[in-house]
Parts: sequence; structure tokens; C-alpha cells
Amino acid sequence: MTKTAAASPYGFRYIGTKRRAKEHARFVTGHGNYAADVTLPGLKHVALAASPHASAKILAIRTDVARAMPGVHYVLTGEEFCSATDSLPIGVDAPKVTRWALARDRVRYAGEWVAAVVADSRALAEDAAELVEVEYEALPHVTDAEQAMAPGSALVHPAHGSNVVLHRDFIWGPVEDQFAKAEHHMRFRAIWNRNATVPIETFAVMAQWQPGTEILDIWASIQMPKYPDQTAKALRLPGNAVRVHYDVDVGGSYGVKRGIKHTVLVGFLAKRLGMPVRLVEDRLENMRGGDMHGPDRSFDIDAAFDGDGTIRALRIRAIDNVGAYAGRAPFQLGKPVSAICGPYKIPAIAYEPISVLTNKTPQEAVRGFGQAPTNFAIERTIDRIAGFLTMDPIALRQKNLIQHDQFPYTIPSGSTYDSGDYHAVLDKALAAIDYPALVERRDQARRAGLLAGIGIATCLEPSGGNSAFEPLLNPKNETTTWMDSCLVRIDLSGAITGIMGTSSSGQGHETLVSTVVGEILQRDPAQIRVIHADSLSALPSNSPVGSRMAIMLGGAAAGAARKIKETLLAIAAHNFECAKDDLDYRDGNVNLKGVPSKILSWDQLVEIAHRKFHAMPPDVEPGLQEKFTWQVPTGGGLPTPDGRIQIYPCYAFETHIVYVEIDSDTATPTIKRYVCGHDCGVMINPDIVHGMTYGGIAHGIGAALYEQFTYDDNGQLTSGTFMDYLIPSAREIPAITIVDHCTPSPLTTFGQKGSGEAGYLGAPAAVANAINDALAPRNVEINALPISHLAIWDALAGRNSR
Amino acid sequence: MKSPAFEYARAASIDEACELLSQHGDSAKVLAGGQSLVPMMAFRLLRPHWLIDISEIAPLQYIALETDVARTGACTRQCTVQCDATLAAQVPLLRQALAFVGHAQIRNRGTIGGSLVQADPSAELPLVAQILQARLVVRAKSGPRTLTAEDFFTGPMTTALAPDECLTEIQWPVWPDRSTGSAFTEVSRRHGDFAMVAAGAQVAVDAAGQCIRAAFGVGGAAPTPVAFPDLAQRLVGTSFNQALLRDVAQQAAAALEPGADTHASAAYRRHLAAVLATRVLQSAYDTARAAR
Repeated sequence: MTKTAAASPYGFRYIGTKRRAKEHARFVTGHGNYAADVTLPGLKHVALAASPHASAKILAIRTDVARAMPGVHYVLTGEEFCSATDSLPIGVDAPKVTRWALARDRVRYAGEWVAAVVADSRALAEDAAELVEVEYEALPHVTDAEQAMAPGSALVHPAHGSNVVLHRDFIWGPVEDQFAKAEHHMRFRAIWNRNATVPIETFAVMAQWQPGTEILDIWASIQMPKYPDQTAKALRLPGNAVRVHYDVDVGGSYGVKRGIKHTVLVGFLAKRLGMPVRLVEDRLENMRGGDMHGPDRSFDIDAAFDGDGTIRALRIRAIDNVGAYAGRAPFQLGKPVSAICGPYKIPAIAYEPISVLTNKTPQEAVRGFGQAPTNFAIERTIDRIAGFLTMDPIALRQKNLIQHDQFPYTIPSGSTYDSGDYHAVLDKALAAIDYPALVERRDQARRAGLLAGIGIATCLEPSGGNSAFEPLLNPKNETTTWMDSCLVRIDLSGAITGIMGTSSSGQGHETLVSTVVGEILQRDPAQIRVIHADSLSALPSNSPVGSRMAIMLGGAAAGAARKIKETLLAIAAHNFECAKDDLDYRDGNVNLKGVPSKILSWDQLVEIAHRKFHAMPPDVEPGLQEKFTWQVPTGGGLPTPDGRIQIYPCYAFETHIVYVEIDSDTATPTIKRYVCGHDCGVMINPDIVHGMTYGGIAHGIGAALYEQFTYDDNGQLTSGTFMDYLIPSAREIPAITIVDHCTPSPLTTFGQKGSGEAGYLGAPAAVANAINDALAPRNVEINALPISHLAIWDALAGRNSR
Repeated sequence: MKSPAFEYARAASIDEACELLSQHGDSAKVLAGGQSLVPMMAFRLLRPHWLIDISEIAPLQYIALETDVARTGACTRQCTVQCDATLAAQVPLLRQALAFVGHAQIRNRGTIGGSLVQADPSAELPLVAQILQARLVVRAKSGPRTLTAEDFFTGPMTTALAPDECLTEIQWPVWPDRSTGSAFTEVSRRHGDFAMVAAGAQVAVDAAGQCIRAAFGVGGAAPTPVAFPDLAQRLVGTSFNQALLRDVAQQAAAALEPGADTHASAAYRRHLAAVLATRVLQSAYDTARAAR
């Protein structure tokens, strides 16, 4: 029973058609294989003793009682661990801000791991962890970034000499001049409080040391570039002594499944004890000590503009509270440089990113890598300018959006946007929501005494991650490639296998690779298998981060498939004694043009390649397999002295239109309508793109209204469970309409752009704008997320709740 | 998030449960639906040495309707109570409140008695028990006793239940008046969360539309859910004019002792108490009039 698939809107055979995702069947039938499903004989379990203090000296740790418990195999403390392993990498130039999985001498946040217990079961390990006695001397702590920057503040890492780990002043374009010429200036502060992606599956890792081969095998729920390399380096092992098994499913991530500290800890224990060891975070460990919080940022914005709505320049100061350690997280101030003026023609930008250490849980990458907060700040700016000028916020956007005929468009900070038709997407979204009718509905609701508002956001999703913000923010880092690869092989039976070199965390890479390879080779993607190599047999990959895999893995898979196709054509040309140009390739069979009898079928060609060397052309390798490793398009450059650099290659666009009503007596907001217009170029699998976008919007609504890692005055996390960290459920998320548009990217194989961060990059801004439109008749405003009931009530009552 | 080790006993009868409680009561917890107890054990916030499982005792699961009272067995699942149309006709406030208790999955496991014994100050069922002045039958090995809701709830997460006692039955008063209406509402950040503030009301009217009986209460704004029988009495004989309603609700709100947390300040809770009390009283009154 086959259903005829709808035709591809782009004229492809498989790309863009509605097809079942390859991996979803195993997820919905309960056949996923997650890190905690993998087990080994004699497996031992880890639990952690965590610091109750936000900041304290460790005076003594007594482990003998815990160690003596039956079933307990080891209690590891920082004393031994930090001597035997190296610090985890520090992204910015702050070499004294070292970081290990276990604290030594000093704890820097509540929940920081102090000791690890290995026992026969997780429950026993938890029992023993309670018996680890730690003597602390409490030290002053600081959780507020601006207090941490002030002279005399408690220092999180005294050896670093300050709490600031990154502070730059970028001036791109004639900022002073534009401010001098502008008719109006406007300043305000926007605050994005801490949230994250909080996956159902917490971080899980299992390690086993093989003394015979001297290989450390690792199974982990990982989404992280350079993970095997960093693990090996911290464990002082050669890179080829760590084998990461990428064929485990990952139960959610969108950035946060980094787990490097967990892995080094478990790897060390497995090797030290000669036993397989597993750590599966519980929810509290994940929320408090899993180092998975996202950006925590305040923006001071100064905008220069004219009375006709022309935006001349922006000054943006972004202070980010990075928490107690600085791994890769400060770079989340860097990615937004790639789209620092949003989709607008703003000729001059000053950007002052500051990354500050505090006694909060360390940050990790979260969906968008800093772009969602920046988009929120920019979009609040646009609405505030519209309010200042009493101009329609849509008209203001239409005036300042880059026009379709201006692409490729280079922004002041040095990135060139590849393509786009922002006005068309905005128009489509306005039509889909019937904007004039929506305005009438809002106005009627207002006349009936309700608070009602419409919010718009027009935002970019930089995609194709090349991490060029690393050399921009750390001159000692000269990384200029961020390649990805694919190996395609055809076996003797003629079956096709695509081999990728990283794990997937829900992005549907098996569907991606099979669709692309099927497209090139004209073979049914349903019959193409895609596997995840382990790190010792994998080709180079930089993992699915930065909305890059449709572009990078898609491009690599297409490149390898094209090489296979060329080989098949070469075999046929040799056997027909003709030129390749004289041949037709159809469905994997090759025939001489105009001579139907002269045909070599797929099976025959495969058999020649595998068995009949005598029928092979000279200089063609037997066996049918090809690899392709691709550098990120437009990547490879270092920043100019004034800090200009092409960061990501492709720029997807999204516009959100939201209608909100607020019950003013109870301060309860309800989202009544939601339309998202989305252009990520050619969608290889529209269902996967739409799924990620729906999820991203839900995630963004969470950031806008519900989710926050809150801390009390003692530096304790007060939202460490799902009682207090509020993830919106199906009851809070409205029906969402997505309207597609396609402006192909000229830089990619099929015109695709990235989409993994879609929705989340614009939803918080749009919801915040809608709430503020609703509050406008009362002359109050909220510029801090999340906008809780309490914040709305306080604003309506004229109080400042924050 | 693994509980420390504990002893587990599944009681086959109420007598056996009481016997086990008489032996281990001080160090035991009764397991019914487990929707609060089990997570608290996993967090190691509760560490009972004994867990006495009463969830399989069939004689604790029933709904029995009499003229002036609806009796529910303590181990009756919340979903069973919510789905019982006859019970809903007699004690409509129960079904209205249950719609706010967690989500369907939680109500499939959670029991009526479990929620009452848990005594969360913002939980819905304890508030309904207070408003309707339910009676709670508790049993020890030595025999049963009956408590009013007011006596049962003694503070946040605490009740008058002795360590060797087990809640067995809840008696919900049925108002005889044909023209009775009720309403329940709450404000929480998300649907299914514990309420920041909850309110419920039940009102009966005569043929002229005058109130002949009224009850209301507020949860989430004091150490226990609070009913206001004296203030409700002020509404009897009236047609619920706006000024009176607001005044009653304001007085109720003023009498509360709300706390503050990350989600709501004390002032916001007090404000919500007045707003929600007004709303449920008005809605209950309107329903009662419509029922005539």
C-alpha cells in the first residue's frame, strides 16, 4: 500500500515532499535506544554530593562512612580528580577560570558537585552521598551580574582578578555621526531572565575502559562539537583512546546536552575502578548542577532614528550573567553579531558585550545561542520606536526591512545575508491572520473593557554554524573551519547506506541524509539506511549545533552521492566506450542516449564495482563508497582589526503575529491567535521543519511567560523542579498556523537554510510585544521576561516587581 | 531522586491497615494514589520506614448517595468521582473543583482521601471540604471517629489525623434545595498547577430569587483553605447586589493570611482572593437562579 506523495513544491523528486520521517516510527513505537537503555554487565552507578552553599571554602571532606557502606565501591573528591585530570576548556581568554566536574578547595554555586559516589545501584549511591561529610566555611556570594561587576564585589574566581571574563567594544559604522544627525534618541533596558531547554531525558553517560585495547568506550546523550577530543584531552588520553558511540538516541537537547564534565568524571571513574560506570542525572542534579541554563542577560539599548521612522543607529550594551564557570557559554554573546541589526537596514551599530561570573549555575548553549534574547531586545526597540513616533509597528518594520532586491546584503558587523524576501513573508502572515479583522477584534475587546494586544516580531535565524564568533571574541582562538562530512556506500546487494559522524537529538538527520542521497541517486529514500558511526570510525563532524545540519550534513551527503553517481557513469562510459556526456542516468540505471538496448542497470553497475575489476575503468577505485567533507560556505576568514567577520552563511526569516487578551482583574494573559510566517529556503522535509517550528514557538512562549531559573537571596535555585520551573503544556499553547515561504539560499546545495531554532527566535519578542500592546492603554510597560501574572499585576498596580 | 529503602506492606483490608498503623504508625506513611507522596519520597523530603499501601482495599472505593449526604470512600480515584454524573448532580462543586486538580493522568491515580490528607493549603479538594463542611471518618485499630473539615485541617500539610489513624470516608453534605448553584475557579500560572488562589461557592435561592443559603471559601491564601460561613450568612435574604458582594469578598480577603513565593506576592494573593470570591459567588447565584 503506497500513497502517492504530494509533489515537491520545488520541482525535486523527494526533497520538499511530505514523507514520513525515517526515525519517528521507532520513537513512537518505543524502540528508541537511549543512553540509559544501553547497559553492560557489572555496571555501577554514580550519585553526587552537592554543595548547599552558593560560595564557600571546603575545609574538609570525610568520605570514610560513605565508603564503608555495603555496595559502595568508591568515593571520589576533587582532591584526587583535579590532580589526575586537566581543566575543561575555557572558551574565552581567561585561563585562570579553570573548571572540573568536582570542586576542589572552593565551591562557587549551590548544587556544585563536591564528591561522586560509585555504588551497585543509584539508590545506594544516593544513600552514601548523603553520608559524605563536607565541612564548609561560607563565603560572600554574588548572583547579580551588575553587582558582580562593581568594585569590591565578592570574586567567583579570585585568581582571575575580576568577575568579568569578556568585555568588548565594537563600533561598526559611523555610530557617533548617525546619533548626531538623528532627530530622536530613545533609551531603555530589556531583560531576558534565565531559561533553558529542559529535555525530558536528563543527561546520561556510561563509560567502560577496555584494558586490553586501552580504549575508553562512551555512550552518552550528547549534542556537542569536539566532544571526544575534549574528553580525551581532559583525561590526558590520546584522542584515539576515546570511542564515543554516536548510535544512541538523544531524548531532547536543543543545545544543552553538553555533559562534558559528566563525561570526564564518569570516564575517569570507569578507568580508575576498572568497572563500567553510568551517571544519569536526576531532575534536581540536571536543573541545579547540570550546567544547562541559558542566557541571563540585560540589554541597555540606545536607538537613533528620524521622525519618518528611519532607524539610523543602535547602541547595544549586553551584560550576560554566565554563572560560576565560563566554558563555551560567553560565546552566546558572539553569535548575535551575525545578525546584530536583525532584518533591518541599520547602517551603524555599537555593541558592548560583557560576560560576568556570578555564583549561579554555569550557563550552557541553548537554542539560538544568544540570538533569541537579542531578537527580543531588537524587536522591543522597534515597537518602542513605533510607540514613540505613534507610527504603526508594521509600517515601521516595512520601512526598515531589507528589501528583496538588496540581497546579498552586508550588515555593519561584517556578515552578508544570503537571501530573503522579508516583505513577502510579512505580507503572507498578515493575510493569514486577516490583520484588519484582528485589529477590529482587538479594538472591540478594548471597547468592552478588556486589555487586548497584538504583537509582531520580524526576526532572523542565522544558520549553518561556523563558530566564527570564537576568533572574534578570543584572539588566541584561530578556528576557521567547522566542517561536516558524510560517507555513502553501496553494498554488493545494491543497498545504500549513509554514514554520519555524530549523534542526533531529534532533528531527523536520518531522514535528511536519506532524502538528499535518494534525490541525487534517484533511489527511494525509504530503502536507504543511515547510521551513526562511532567517533573512531567517523569522518569529521561538528555536531548538530547552530542550525547547521540541513546545510552542512545535507551538503556533505549530496556531495558524496554525486561522487557515487559520477563513478556509476564512469563505469557505464567505460563499458559502452563512450563519453559520460553520451549517457542518461535514470533511477540508478545508465543507458546510452538514444539506444534503449544499451543499458546497465543499477544492479549490474554495482556488481561491476564490487566484483568485476576487469570491467572497471582505469583509475577508479573498486567498491562503491565515497566521502565528502564540506567547509561551511563563506567560512574560513579571521576577523578584521575592527571586528568585522562573516559569521553564519545563511539567514532564515520568521515573522510572528500574536493576539493576546489579559483579564485585568486577575492579571491572567491568554494567547488567542498565533500565526508564524517562515522562510528557511528549501525545506528538505516540511514535516520536520514544521515540527521544530511548533516546538520552538512553544519554547518561546515558555520563555515569554513562564520559564525562569529563579534564585533567592542566599543564592539558592528556587525553581529546581517542575513545580516551579514552569514549562507550558498543551493547555497553555494556542493553535498555531505556520505559513511557509521559500527564498532559496544561493550558497547551499538545494537552496536550504537552517531551521532548528525556528520559532524560539521570534516568539518571545512577539508575545512580549503583544502584552505591551495590551498594556499600552494603561500607560505601563514590561520589558523583562518572563512576564508572569505577578509582573502584569504589579505593572497594572503601578509597582515594579523586579 | 531515589527513595531511601523502606518496608512495604499492602493491606488487604481496612482492619489490616489499622493493625499495621497501630504497629508502625509513627514511622509509616499510607500510600493511596501516590501522586504527592511518591515524588516527596523520591526527593527524600519524606523518609517513611514503612509504606502501607491501601490502594487495593476495595471497601475504601465507593460512592454512596443518600438524601442529605454523599459518601465517598477515601480511596476512590479522583477520576471516578469526577465522572460520576449522579454525584455531580448532588455535589456539583466536587466535579467543578476536580477539573482544576492536576491533569487527567494525575486524577486517574490520585484519590479523594489522599488529597485531603495531604492538606496542601492551595489544593482544591480540601477547599471544597471546608466550604461544604464535609465530615471525615477516620479509623484506628481502636475504632472510628468523625471530624469536621474545620477540625481536620490544622495547618499547611498537617491534619488532625493521629499516626495510627487512616481516613476511610468523606461525607459531603447534599443541599436539599432544588435551586442550588455552585462555582469553582482559580488562578494558577499554568492549568493544573497548585492554585495561587482558588475560590468556590455554593448558593441556594428561593422562588423569588432571594438567597436562602450560601457558602464560600478561598484556598491558597492562608495556612489552610478557609471557609467564611459568617460572611456567607450576610448574603442570605439578599439578591446579591454588587456592592454587598464586593464588600463580603473584600472582608473575606482581609481576613486571610496569604504568603509570598516566586509566583505571587501576599498582596497579589489577597487581591485575587477578593476577585475570585466575588466571581464564584456571582456565578453560583446566577446558576442557582437559572436552575429554578
